Amino acid sequence: MTRRAQPWLGTLVEITSDGDQRATDLAFAAVALVHRLMSFHDPGSEISRFNLAPVGARLPVHPATWRVLQLAEQVQAATDGVFNVACAPQLVAWGCLPAPAGTVGPAPRFAPTAATQQTQPSFACQAPDMVDKLADAWLDVGGIAKGYAVDAAVAALQQAGAQHGCVNAGGDLRVFGARAWPVALRDPRAPQRLHSTVMLRDAALATSASYFSERTWHGQPVSALVDGRDGAPLVHARSVSVRAPLCAVADALTKLVAASGKPQHPALTLWQASAFII
Amino acid sequence: MRYRHSLTVLSSVAGLAAIACPPVHATDYLNLGQAQALMFPEATAFRARDLSLNVAQMQQVEQLAGLPARSVAWRVVGAYDGDRLLGYVVQDDVVGKFELISYAVAINPDATVRQVEILTYRESHGAEIRLPAWRRQFAGKSAAGGKLMVGNGIANISGATLSCTHLTDGVRRIAAVAQVGLAK
Repeated sequence: MTRRAQPWLGTLVEITSDGDQRATDLAFAAVALVHRLMSFHDPGSEISRFNLAPVGARLPVHPATWRVLQLAEQVQAATDGVFNVACAPQLVAWGCLPAPAGTVGPAPRFAPTAATQQTQPSFACQAPDMVDKLADAWLDVGGIAKGYAVDAAVAALQQAGAQHGCVNAGGDLRVFGARAWPVALRDPRAPQRLHSTVMLRDAALATSASYFSERTWHGQPVSALVDGRDGAPLVHARSVSVRAPLCAVADALTKLVAASGKPQHPALTLWQASAFII
Repeated sequence: MRYRHSLTVLSSVAGLAAIACPPVHATDYLNLGQAQALMFPEATAFRARDLSLNVAQMQQVEQLAGLPARSVAWRVVGAYDGDRLLGYVVQDDVVGKFELISYAVAINPDATVRQVEILTYRESHGAEIRLPAWRRQFAGKSAAGGKLMVGNGIANISGATLSCTHLTDGVRRIAAVAQVGLAK
């Protein structure tokens, strides 16, 4: 087995497979591409370009960015806005994210979709590989792009001939091949300890919890996890794990289950996903 | 006397911690030689070189990186194809809230970052991460040939995303050190 780790997407990405070093290099290159295209922090990324663009702009984007935004659009619609990639102004206000480089003036107003009783999309994907900016908004695809990067790395490993392996982007992971892999889950009440182990075969598992990102803002506990409907911070002593065929889907749907508290939420079935809370 | 006493206490605490609290997650990815060969596959020789920064250089590093320069001396290896310099490998460790990461940064001759590889990753249960004795027990540990058996110590862990700010800061600092002390 080849096993390496590199820092990407603000976390450690670990790639294990029966492929050779070249396969691992190609898989890391796929992760690096997602990092360059979709970083909220990098002023040269396509996400930053969107965030700095005027309302009404139509932006050409890389097919990978387009697929992430299209999936974000679909999950946002299916979850009535609980999953929302436009929460960045809230996270910037809380100090969970820095303000995007190059921005001047006040942050866009984070418009809770619940207040207007309808989903107000801030962007629309237009085929092929174009995105319309519909509202003044800052997008942060951190809640889905890590999962997408894992899927892209798995595809690269398989194309390079790997038969089985595991790609883990700081806790969002996917295994492929015929063998079942043990995956340990952190204990949300003592994250340095392991809570339990599940067996995973040819599937992805993503976990969301507030234990690593929690901070205090104006005396209130906040975290990088937000309910996309009203911007309320999700601060619980529990963690949500979603199993799905694709890691991008698993990653996005953890936010739905964390906000709704429903591991049986009907939207999960749209993507053959299942969830559990510990 | 007092100093000696506190040292004894420290080392016995560290010894206890090492026995009672093995790392929850510990992985050896590459040793330095393997990382060097991966990052500079065309190299025919690697030669260690001393890099010591003077006060003015330390200040330059702080300005460039926006971070304290931290160390005067850096562990640097030059990669060569014959006599031609291909670049450098700089080795460093960072300590987070409860993780210890050893890593290697490959630097091009113009001081731009070429690649970053994690050598080892260790998590502790808590405060012992700050004890030099706890960290020393992992010094020099590395994967044998980069080959690991599945089911034999390979733990995949799912959990909330652990931010690696310390590591990205460390890479930025090394890029600045390279620009000040290594760039042609």
